[in-house]
Amino acid sequence: MLKKLLTVCTMVLLTSSVAFAQTGAIQGQVTDAETGETIPGANILVVELERGAASDADGNFRIANLRAGTYTVTATFVGYRTFRQAVQVQANQTTMLNISLQMGAVGLDELVVSGYAVTPKRELTGSIASVRSQDIQDVTLQNPESLLQGRAAGVNVTADSGNPGGAFRVSIRGNGSINAATQPLYIIDGVQISFSQQSGLTSTSPLNAINPNDIESIEVLKDASSAAIYGAEAAAGVVIITTKRGQAGRTQVTARAETGVRTLARNVDYITPDQYVQYLGEGAALNNGVSLDNDISAFIDGERNFLLGFFGEDPFNEGQLANTDWQDIIFSDGVTQRYNISVSGGDQTTTFRISAGYEDTEGTAFNADFTRLNLRTNIDHSISSRFRTSVGLNVSRSTQFGVCQDGNFINCPPSQAMFEAPMSFPFNADGSYNAFTRFGLPNNPAVQRDEVDRNVTVTQILSNINLIYRATDWLSMNGLVAVDYRNTEDEQFRSAIAAPGQGGWTTFANRNVRNFNTNLVVNARQTFDGVHNVSGLIGTEYRRNFSESQLVRGDGFPGPFFRVLSTTANPVTAAGTQTEWRRGSYFANAQYNYSERYFLNVVARYDGHSRFGSETRWGFFPAVSGAWRITEEDFFNVEFLDELKLRAGYGITGNSAIGNFASRGLYSAAGSYQGNTGLRPSQLANANLGWEEARELNIGLDYEFLQGRIFGAIDVYRKVNAELLFARPLPSDSGFGSITENIGKVQNQGIEFEISSVNVNTRDFTWSTRFNIAFMDNEILELPDRTPIGENNTFTALKEGSPIGLIQVPRYAGVNPADGRPMWLDGDGNITFNPVQADDAIEYKDGFANTVGGFGNTFNYRGLTLDAFFQFSFGQWAFPQTDYYFTRTPDFLMQMSTEVEGRWRQPGDMTSYPRAVIAGTNFIETANYRTQLSTQSIYNASYIRLKNISLSYQVPQRWASQVGLNNVRLYASALNLLTWTAWPWYDPEVAFGVNDIYGNVTAASYPTERQVNAGIEIRF
Amino acid sequence: MKKLKFLKYSVVAAVLVSFAGCNEILENVEPATSVSGEVVLTSADGVNALRSSMYSKMRESFAYRTEYFVAPSAFTDETRNRPGSTRYQGLGQAVGTSGTAHIASWGAHYNVIQDANLIIGAIGEGVLPAETLNRFRGEALAIRAFAKHNLVKVYGYDPGNFGQGELQGNWDLGVIIRTEPTIDLADADLRPRATVDQVYTQILQDLSDAKALLSGVNANNTFATEAFVDGLAARVNLYAGNYGAAVQAAQDAITNSGRTLQNSPGAVADMFDEGIGGHPEALFRLVVNPDTEGGGFNNDGPGTYTSTGFLAQLPTQFLIDKYDAGDYRLGWYRDCVTAQRIALNQPTGCASVNTEGFSLVKFNGARGNHVDDLPFIRLAEMYLIWAEAAAKAATNPNAAIGPLDELRTARNAGPTPASFASITEMEDFILDERMRELALEGHRFYDLKRLQRDIRNPDETIKMRFDSYRILPQIGTGLRNVNPLLEENPGY
Repeated sequence: MLKKLLTVCTMVLLTSSVAFAQTGAIQGQVTDAETGETIPGANILVVELERGAASDADGNFRIANLRAGTYTVTATFVGYRTFRQAVQVQANQTTMLNISLQMGAVGLDELVVSGYAVTPKRELTGSIASVRSQDIQDVTLQNPESLLQGRAAGVNVTADSGNPGGAFRVSIRGNGSINAATQPLYIIDGVQISFSQQSGLTSTSPLNAINPNDIESIEVLKDASSAAIYGAEAAAGVVIITTKRGQAGRTQVTARAETGVRTLARNVDYITPDQYVQYLGEGAALNNGVSLDNDISAFIDGERNFLLGFFGEDPFNEGQLANTDWQDIIFSDGVTQRYNISVSGGDQTTTFRISAGYEDTEGTAFNADFTRLNLRTNIDHSISSRFRTSVGLNVSRSTQFGVCQDGNFINCPPSQAMFEAPMSFPFNADGSYNAFTRFGLPNNPAVQRDEVDRNVTVTQILSNINLIYRATDWLSMNGLVAVDYRNTEDEQFRSAIAAPGQGGWTTFANRNVRNFNTNLVVNARQTFDGVHNVSGLIGTEYRRNFSESQLVRGDGFPGPFFRVLSTTANPVTAAGTQTEWRRGSYFANAQYNYSERYFLNVVARYDGHSRFGSETRWGFFPAVSGAWRITEEDFFNVEFLDELKLRAGYGITGNSAIGNFASRGLYSAAGSYQGNTGLRPSQLANANLGWEEARELNIGLDYEFLQGRIFGAIDVYRKVNAELLFARPLPSDSGFGSITENIGKVQNQGIEFEISSVNVNTRDFTWSTRFNIAFMDNEILELPDRTPIGENNTFTALKEGSPIGLIQVPRYAGVNPADGRPMWLDGDGNITFNPVQADDAIEYKDGFANTVGGFGNTFNYRGLTLDAFFQFSFGQWAFPQTDYYFTRTPDFLMQMSTEVEGRWRQPGDMTSYPRAVIAGTNFIETANYRTQLSTQSIYNASYIRLKNISLSYQVPQRWASQVGLNNVRLYASALNLLTWTAWPWYDPEVAFGVNDIYGNVTAASYPTERQVNAGIEIRF
Repeated sequence: MKKLKFLKYSVVAAVLVSFAGCNEILENVEPATSVSGEVVLTSADGVNALRSSMYSKMRESFAYRTEYFVAPSAFTDETRNRPGSTRYQGLGQAVGTSGTAHIASWGAHYNVIQDANLIIGAIGEGVLPAETLNRFRGEALAIRAFAKHNLVKVYGYDPGNFGQGELQGNWDLGVIIRTEPTIDLADADLRPRATVDQVYTQILQDLSDAKALLSGVNANNTFATEAFVDGLAARVNLYAGNYGAAVQAAQDAITNSGRTLQNSPGAVADMFDEGIGGHPEALFRLVVNPDTEGGGFNNDGPGTYTSTGFLAQLPTQFLIDKYDAGDYRLGWYRDCVTAQRIALNQPTGCASVNTEGFSLVKFNGARGNHVDDLPFIRLAEMYLIWAEAAAKAATNPNAAIGPLDELRTARNAGPTPASFASITEMEDFILDERMRELALEGHRFYDLKRLQRDIRNPDETIKMRFDSYRILPQIGTGLRNVNPLLEENPGY
């Protein structure tokens, strides 16, 4: 198919020897409207031709070789409103155009990438959120998902992991699916990113390939009418990332260097060994019927001796229990450094931007580290007046230490920090590893730190080539070929100390993704009678996503000197697999507006996907939307209102994110007996399996008043995801657990509100504010057979009328003042000591964050800029599994949080924490306090976070120019500096994984970290 | 000029159209680790792989390892948790009025039955030589019977005991019978529970069919053999009260297996060790080999639970006290610290479960990480079945003495009583002998249940009365929501 495309393109090339028409030019100067100062670096664009230039140091620009005609010229510069004017170009003449820019926030003239096309915001009819490079230039984050956090209304971004380079759960307008993935579609300069075959060692993201410094803008297509053009993969929204490109003009070099420190955002307080012994002593005394007003020192001593026998004595304090702060050992401050350099420029025919970036960020958990070397080249070239081509090439190599996490694992740092006993210690007096930590030598955290390596290396190429053929002034054709090749190497090594059973081992996993997409789009744009603006596109697209992995493992090293596979004694594992999916598509879009007053936009997409049943392979995804710019009406004449646009749209998008072969009847290779691999039925066929569909109605209002000083939007939507791909349970005596069918409905509805304002705008001082908030509501409308799924489950019950992520627990009723036993309420509200989940649990809370958003203030005084950005999330409740089971309640792990200090001691004590108990088999009285989850085990995960604060200083030109530079900026920034939350554990950002739809359980995830940076940016 | 324009537009149109015909591309995508059912059921390699899967499912399933071997002991009086350990704590704590823990793996058994049903009923003629196909079908019938018996002895009262429960008289429901392969969606229909008697009839039918198909197949005890079918038939008939048949089957098993009881201290002590003894008494041993079975299993195998890892379920003093000092079988009890292979927990506190600080090493892996072959039915059990069934068939307690003495002599267990005063006394003695011989081999709870004895703690206090409804487990809303025809056991 690619071949065909090339052949045809060559043919077109040959036929294009059209006579060159006579051309003219536009030339002028860009100035500040109030001060008259010239503005260098402003972008001037001839909209129809997508050709542009940047103003030089004196504010001058020139765009030549323009065919005679009328063009729309825009000029943009950071902090100024977009200039827009129609210009007549005459053959062999230079048209003068002096542009004076008004200070103010950018508004409706912004260009928005809306899917296979670029549209001025004023013409948009759907709901699209944008984040611009200037909003994020001093935010030190590793990947684009994190940049969206709090900045795009209705986009809920939650860190899956705090380790540098970790992944994010991004949910746009709520959870729309239960069993298919809920990740949006990410497109970087036309490259549709694959999430297949990621590292198995840690939390990571394929978007790490992109250096945030290269990002020009991120657009989030939120509603179905804007996303429908992406059809079958757009049900969870589409995120379009556009990278920076060069501008014609003087070559500009920008260099940035920054360094900083990364620290744990928060520690948790645990009790000391003395307090722990006291606790056990109390438990032993009470078990023996001795009340605590007696002398219980014998019990305490007994417990102390038991622990001394168990852990041994402190190597540096004879006869005493050690008192180790494991958090200090496991988490230590990390250093971060990053360097970026970019060179951009070009002439009338060729523009370029090349950039290189290097980053090394150490996390706080031991060995945690992220490095990235990134090279990006964007080149645009006009081959002739009819042909243009552009190339983007992004090569990156990142390494991460694979911090294991997200579970109660005895060998993973986040969980070890929570539950390794303070009475144990890492090293003996002679410096050898202590073999008597809670889980023995191999799981001594120091052994895990020093004797285990988990390295993840990702090499990724993102590349796109576009060839644009302008057939006539109103018709053009754009062919794109895009690749996303990713290789991930997971290497894990355990020395003989960390893996004594095998004498050490090493594994190596090689994972490859070959993800390819290509499309061809024909664009047309024509104006009739000066008022009827018609535009549209038709296109076709093909994508193939192939992924594979190979895994090998060898056991038994001859000694500590080796660590590669060849030196192992036994090859243990050789495994590998491959899989792929393919999609073919046709799409079309027609837009009409009458005098830029009434807008109509129709979209249709027809997608075929290899994943679906033979009967339902192709799906149709239409959308229609319209807008009315009320302020353009003659009758509407309100002085202070600049713009009022009412939008409405309805569309259908699809979700195809299920298993690659979910529709087939399959026997899978699984298990083996005596060396013979088994084949077993794994799935019943469903030839009628089709897409999930999201049907969404969106109504919005864009507003701008007081000459652009205040602007924003309000959107109201209702999205019903229907035909949900559901595993309909089958009776398990059939041998099958379920069959995937299209059943079920989930509804998300909400209101999003965005407002930005320029509060003060004087020559020396500006103060601008931005705020967004989204209220969301999630509800399951329909389930298979209308039957609840996991009806009594604590965290995963799915019930019609309830949100996904419902938490069902019995009510906690405090502690019986007489004997210190924990009490609960049964279903009827009576006290019980043994609640039964099925009978006594109530629908308590849910893990759905129903109010999210962010707000920021930017202060600008002369060259000094202060920006503070807060992000918030409310309404999510969750169960901190590791903290609860292993530190909040008495358990054999021998670590407890300070909450236990408020425990019941004497009859009459009114408290919520039960009496002390001895762990093990004999703590019947309060045994179920640990295992019986109830309202007291569920915490509010709401928070407000000072996500980013930055201070930058633009060194005055006159000083900078003395050292031969035209622009020097110093800046300092901090990430996650402050968090306000009622969550008492490490991190209120709860997401069990990037596709976690429940959001109500977290287990020893790598906590969010705080980072403080300082840097310098130089341009010349 | 006009011509040129026309050409241009046609090129644009042609390029767009050239993308058409995608459907073919979309269809040519095949999975790498799966195939269609036709490929499996109509090829010799496919059927061989299906048979491997059937055995593998047993090996993979918790229900066929730790739950099968350890749970009936943890639930009763044979083992208790080492202080500080939690694995199977719930079973040890479950009493008549609280604690919902039970032995209950519904789906795992039907997963095995699924593969067995395909081998029995979905392989076309001519795919395999008749002799091979007969053997495979015989194995599948035997495994299906085994799985069904494992199910019915948990979920229903044993034959003849239907009045056992305190809440409801004559509760005779067993489990769902499914004997046809599930090929497409229509086969996965909803069914009610059959009665216990119907299930036993089906099991015995399967065993009799299997015996015919496996006649003379006894060479390799790592697959289901005729001797395994006989052994299972002995067990099932004992539960069913068909005592004569049980005696006959037990004797057939002994004969057909060609095996003899180990009778020296070393041979008895090491017979569970795959590397030394090699399971000489196993009528069927499921091979677990980390070299070929994907690493075996780690943290949830019976070895890990009982000895090599967590040291969670240790033999009670009550159990150890059952042996005479010279009993060779005491060789199965070894110091818990030295028996532990990988210190998943510090091996402290063993002595608070039994005074010597023993763990039971029947499952200590010969191969690395807690892995050893699993002996599902052992020759010694045949003598115990023979003894009990012979006495009950003849309603003469002393008819048990012959086979009992044969076993006890081999084990140097001390003198066998010359006579029993009553059937009950004989039962008591056999229950003790079963503990001595079959501790942690998956019997204790079921023996007490079928003989309608109370479940006691190691200190002999009552843990769960025999008529407590909690003797039967809960089916649960998870299963019943999917299948409304599934009736819940009384009391839940």
